[in-house]
Amino acid sequence: MKPQDFKKITPYVHEIPKTFRPDMRVPARFYADDELLAGALDDKSLEQLVNTTTLPGIVKYALAMPDIHQGYGFPIGGVVATELPDGVISPGAVGYDINCGVRLLASHLHHDKVAPYLSDLASAIQANCPSGVGQGGSIRLKTHELERLVEQGARWALKEGYATEMDLERTEENGRLEGADAGKVSERAKNRGKDQIGTLGAGNHFIELDRVAEIFDETAAQRMGLFPGQIVAQIHSGSRGFGHQVCTDYVKRFQTAVHKYGIQLPDRELVCAPLSSPEGQDYLAAMKAAANYAFVNRQVLAYHIRRSFEQVLAGKVKNHFVYQIYDIAHNMAKVEDHDVDGRQVRVCVHRKGATRAFGPGSPVLPDVYRDIGQPVLVPGSMGTASWVLVGTEGSMAQSFGSTCHGAGRTMSRRQAKKNVRGSELREELEEQGVHVRAGSMAGLAEEAPTAYKDVDRVIEVVHGAGIARKVARLVPVAVIKG
Amino acid sequence: MTNKRFEFVEHTADWALRVFGRDLAQLLVHAAEGMASLLVEEPAAIATGEERHVELAAGDAESLLVEWLSELAYWAEMEQLIFTQFELSTVTPTHLEATVRGGRAPELQKHIKAVTYHNLAITQTEAGLEATVVFDV
Repeated sequence: MKPQDFKKITPYVHEIPKTFRPDMRVPARFYADDELLAGALDDKSLEQLVNTTTLPGIVKYALAMPDIHQGYGFPIGGVVATELPDGVISPGAVGYDINCGVRLLASHLHHDKVAPYLSDLASAIQANCPSGVGQGGSIRLKTHELERLVEQGARWALKEGYATEMDLERTEENGRLEGADAGKVSERAKNRGKDQIGTLGAGNHFIELDRVAEIFDETAAQRMGLFPGQIVAQIHSGSRGFGHQVCTDYVKRFQTAVHKYGIQLPDRELVCAPLSSPEGQDYLAAMKAAANYAFVNRQVLAYHIRRSFEQVLAGKVKNHFVYQIYDIAHNMAKVEDHDVDGRQVRVCVHRKGATRAFGPGSPVLPDVYRDIGQPVLVPGSMGTASWVLVGTEGSMAQSFGSTCHGAGRTMSRRQAKKNVRGSELREELEEQGVHVRAGSMAGLAEEAPTAYKDVDRVIEVVHGAGIARKVARLVPVAVIKG
Repeated sequence: MTNKRFEFVEHTADWALRVFGRDLAQLLVHAAEGMASLLVEEPAAIATGEERHVELAAGDAESLLVEWLSELAYWAEMEQLIFTQFELSTVTPTHLEATVRGGRAPELQKHIKAVTYHNLAITQTEAGLEATVVFDV
């Protein structure tokens, strides 16, 4: 693929026309500036984007966010909507980490007040939130309890004392997708999920304490309670082994479904089935169970963060209570209504490495955010900035109410490990004033900031294109990783 | 005939493993060995006191390869069990029976979330068979 294969629609939108490849059903669009476009041509991410245009029932165009990078089957940073009833749902277009997402918690405290205790806070969070490979959590569930959890989502956490009503109000879908069915989930998935609630996992998952560095939208920031210098906390995790197994099971099952429904695809990882089919309905119910698992997982991690603030700051700093700003998914398929060429159409929006970004007025937003738009949480790479944005009318009109989810990798994990020593990176971050707690130095090296795109550049594109609006920029003061 | 059993190849977000074998049985063994070396630094240092019997059915050879590695990744996640000895008694493109031996690793250096079908094709080469497997990590 070459730069001349793209048509520039706006300074931030580049289109690959339907004529690029005979099997394309719709064009593909990439949100990027010229430099991000040139960078994306270095790997196979845009070819993978073109592959997604072949999914039966796809409408308008396949979309790639500026943080796109190469995945397996579907690119990370992709958005595809298929028209119901017979448009397809694809497990690979959601990914293995179903409802991987981000939660943002806020304190009432200024950095200056917390600074002397940051090291202790980072250690307490690391001790309270198990992370790393094969680490179980403090909650061990019997099968019937796990089944209740995945069907009730965050309401389970509320009943068990891990959540507040306000947490649920400020979580996408109130932390519970209706229609989750534990009966559509394998025993193996349940086994993997039994002791992983409240665990962070490994890879790019993390908890981060940040300082609000700059406010760009006073009204939205005030509504969220954000102010300059404030200490906030981000949680990035997903559905752990439970979700991974649900995806594995259905990618396997759909290998035969594609033959049954006569679907031709360029990559077996894109396997799919009509959403109206028994296979499609079963996957949707199982995916919702995994999504609910992830909402509970982040909720329990939030509970542990609150506990850590209490342990370290009680008696030393007043008003150390931590409240929730929002929680969003960035690997999910959702049935939503969107405008397609002037028609209101019910579609299945697949967001893989992309975030829902509903604009002002959306009835699914909590009252507190309805007039400002949905909060969008975009973590940067380790040690660099993260962003709080809001959804816009533009995201509703252009991108099925979606925007970017992060910085996006540019370097392989293998290369990052070759180029960066974990211990040196840790020292560098500590010198910059970032407290680092990491289970594995090799894991730390794989997530080095040099392995990622510049998140500020990614944000300029989505802000400039109008598919999200800047609210606040956060900088890290402590990172806790598996 | 190449002596290479497996090699790691570049992939932006995840890990990819290219495996070689003179036939499907050897390809499966080399893939399992490659995955073990992704999970732990020194698979040879793992004890072999644990034994499991594995029986799998799949739609085709590629699916069988994914099923086989997914089975081994499951035990790695659940019990930190790393298998290093593989005795395959029956192998057809749609069926596999094996006895695998290994032991518990003190720690895993990598968490394999899943084994993907991404661009997966077992191809015939002059030396035998070859396939590239992408892991979600």
